[in-house]
Amino acid sequence: MTGQNLEQQLGPTSPGGGNTPPPPRQPPAPMAVYKRELRREIKRRALEPEINFLNITAMLDMMTIILVFLLKSMSAQTASLPQSADLTIPKSILTTEASQQGVAVLISKSWIIVDDKQVVPVPGDPTHGVEGKYKRGGPNDLYITELASRLQSWRDRDKQVRASTGKDATGSEAIIIADKDTPYRLLVEVLFTLGQTEFNKFHLMVLQGSKR
Amino acid sequence: MERLSAQQRSKIRRLSQPKELAPDEEGGELNIVPFLDIITNVMMFVLATITVTFTATIDSFPPRAGGAGARAPTTPTLGLTILVVPEGFSVKARGGNVAPGCNEAGPGLAIGKTGNEWDYAKLTACVQKLKASSDAFKDETSVTISGNPNIPYQTIISTIDAVRSAPDPSGKDIELFPDVSFGVAR
Repeated sequence: MTGQNLEQQLGPTSPGGGNTPPPPRQPPAPMAVYKRELRREIKRRALEPEINFLNITAMLDMMTIILVFLLKSMSAQTASLPQSADLTIPKSILTTEASQQGVAVLISKSWIIVDDKQVVPVPGDPTHGVEGKYKRGGPNDLYITELASRLQSWRDRDKQVRASTGKDATGSEAIIIADKDTPYRLLVEVLFTLGQTEFNKFHLMVLQGSKR
Repeated sequence: MERLSAQQRSKIRRLSQPKELAPDEEGGELNIVPFLDIITNVMMFVLATITVTFTATIDSFPPRAGGAGARAPTTPTLGLTILVVPEGFSVKARGGNVAPGCNEAGPGLAIGKTGNEWDYAKLTACVQKLKASSDAFKDETSVTISGNPNIPYQTIISTIDAVRSAPDPSGKDIELFPDVSFGVAR
């Protein structure tokens, strides 16, 4: 190893011929300066807030609320009616709110139904009403016996409820849901029987149609 | 200004490194976005699939035969009765039959069918004319509707619609005969 190489390894020599002493350790800066520098550095290096998705939470909140209100308002005006080939409700220009008070009497093409229970069958040709054997006085009578007995039990319960709730108990209400092809004779037989069993107000259910 | 020492600079470099938060270190807020997504989708499907039917009810009463609420016999009443027959409408008012054309009393159908359809517009015009014929009928709102045994329910409902109200010249609906009773044909 040459003397020059050794000098390169050890560094420059002092004028006196010895090694240069390392520079004195710098005293640490005061704590206030250190903290200020730390804050500045953290701020400088902080990542820019990155928006990598669309925040639709607010919109979805709004949508959900609107949909709930929509369904709520629709339920006030609509009814879960069993629309089928056996029962097609007539249309009317009336746009008032449907009444929900009273016993539901449904006249389909095949049955007269009271409170979801089949009471009297409707004949194939109902122009003359239900068959004579279901009526009090034969084919020409309007009073349907089995329908009356079913309505009477409902009326008795309703009378008690009305009396206990302070309502007028002299008569009950009925909702008539009839097929659009129901002949007038059959309709009148049902209404007559209702009248005979102390039902004094009928709500004829119709679908809201277009204005004339 | 005092200079930072190498140790301080190193420490600052180390502490100022941005660090990623672990999922459990993030804010304690419940992420309900996926839940709301599902709810919205379900509601959209429900709305798209249900059949919405807007319903209404026509109030009717059993036929009344006078009594405490009846008018005194001296007061003139219209007593409108409409009979729906397969050929058209027969109208009775003030105890007599309304003649064809709805202008005077006489036999025959007041309003015949137009083509194969019952003419509800002419019926509305007829009852409007009858109501306007005297001031005494101004407050009368009752009508009795009757029909042949084979008349379909839809025709009865359309007849009720025809006599309930009519548009005045300004286009606003005026009430005619909204209180319906059904006649019993024996």
